[in-house]
Amino acid sequence: MLRLLQSLDRRYLYALLLLSVTLPFFVPFQLPVAVTPATKKLYDAIERLPANSFVLVGVDWSAGSRGENRPQTEMILRHLMARHLRFAILAFSDPQGATLGEELAKEIAPQYGYVEGVNWVNFGYRVDMVNWLKAFIQNVPQQVKTDVRGVPVANLPVMQGIRTARDIAMAIDITPTASYQYYIQFLTQPLHMPLGVGLTAVMAPEAYNYVDSGQLVGMMAGLTGAAEYQALFARQYDPRLPLHSRVNAYSNANSIAHLLIITFILLGNVAMFLERRGRLRATRRG
Amino acid sequence: MGLWSGFFHPVHSKTLLALYIAGVLFACLVLFLVLQLIPVPARRHVIRFVTFLGGLFYALEFFLPVAKSGPHADQNVLTPYTTAFGNISQAIVGFTIGLGVINLFQVHLGRLVKRSSDAMFSLAFFLSFLAMFLVSLWHHSHPNALSRALNHILFDGLLQSLDATMFSLIAFYIASAAYRAFRVRSLEATILLVTALVVMLGQIPVGTYLTHTFPAPLRVENIRNWILTQANVAVIRAIAFGLDIGALAMSLRIWLGLERGNYFD
Repeated sequence: MLRLLQSLDRRYLYALLLLSVTLPFFVPFQLPVAVTPATKKLYDAIERLPANSFVLVGVDWSAGSRGENRPQTEMILRHLMARHLRFAILAFSDPQGATLGEELAKEIAPQYGYVEGVNWVNFGYRVDMVNWLKAFIQNVPQQVKTDVRGVPVANLPVMQGIRTARDIAMAIDITPTASYQYYIQFLTQPLHMPLGVGLTAVMAPEAYNYVDSGQLVGMMAGLTGAAEYQALFARQYDPRLPLHSRVNAYSNANSIAHLLIITFILLGNVAMFLERRGRLRATRRG
Repeated sequence: MGLWSGFFHPVHSKTLLALYIAGVLFACLVLFLVLQLIPVPARRHVIRFVTFLGGLFYALEFFLPVAKSGPHADQNVLTPYTTAFGNISQAIVGFTIGLGVINLFQVHLGRLVKRSSDAMFSLAFFLSFLAMFLVSLWHHSHPNALSRALNHILFDGLLQSLDATMFSLIAFYIASAAYRAFRVRSLEATILLVTALVVMLGQIPVGTYLTHTFPAPLRVENIRNWILTQANVAVIRAIAFGLDIGALAMSLRIWLGLERGNYFD
């Protein structure tokens, strides 16, 4: 047993991990989801917005964190569309963000009758987040100028009534970085704009501070957060969503991979204990 | 303010835009040559002065009192200029990206010339860079079916997939490290391990399922929530205070020109 554990080739671990993350995509199953208070708060904050409000959605992720941030963005966009809220996509952290966000919006929009330019807009990728946001606060159309298609945003029906950042009802940043802290600095603190976030699981522990202080109205933490959000959304708007949603498959793959890593940790420690016991016995004999 | 607005008004005529860009590039070239010609100590003073002015604008704009009501509510005398300063700042950031590209070219060209063992990777860099650059330029200036297809292959097919692959590889290293390195060797390591196991189990629906028959305070998702929102928050807050005080001190040093080293040499 000890020899087997000690000489275990790491490629077996890799093969098991590969199997565990691919299997749930072919064998669908449903696990119970316990909704955390942080996710519930984010959901409720969007629920409280008056219809036709304007929401700024920061899509600050790239393909690297797609596994966690895409389902989060999907759930937020679905909720905004189901509630008939207008929204703008904006990317700071990575040029891929604006493209990935737009792909997702275009995929979901027809299900809710949403039209680009009328119900939603893509502001695109912008550099220098700090100074850009400072100017954005004062005059939104002047700072944004055009959407990704090159259309002046001031002429778009979706931007009706949006002059300064004070006209924006809420901001939501989906990110694997700390970009949401700039939203807190320039939008939440000076303008009291509600801010929600979707973060990768590894970034979430830092953000509990801001949920605690009320600077974040709520948070989706990792893929589990997206699954929790989906459970809340499905309960109210679309009970059939979990049956055909990819969030479920992602979440199941995540669950099994976590379990596997927990098993690896336990096995590694068992190997260490067996080795230590063997060495102790040998010392006593010798 | 009118003068500033005139300067930053969008230019729609292509000829005028080309003339503006050529003019700006010429002015930058002249400025660059002048900076190269003046002695190093004087150059440092110029950089310090410009840095101080930039910082002073934002500091004053933040601290000066704002009008409580009226058409200029929440604004002070400097607030209307933030858009113009934001534009200047974006242009400067654009130049820093250019500097990064120059640096990459220098490093990889050097490897190619020396024919070092990593020269193949440098060649791959140049090929990828040129392919992405030329196709993007073509696609944005004269979009057609071919440019769209090429852009799709390079950006969606290659870049995004490679990005996702690079990130996914971490999972395999974590799996290997979990087996070989996460060991109970001391009391501290044991506490860390138990906490990690609880948080990991609480993070996934399987953990919820395994403990759903337990009383509420003993359910793994509730224990995980307590760890993250109570114990973790106290520690993270302390670290954040330390980091932010350090960042404030560093910002002041840069703004006032007290920082030595790369910034001012």
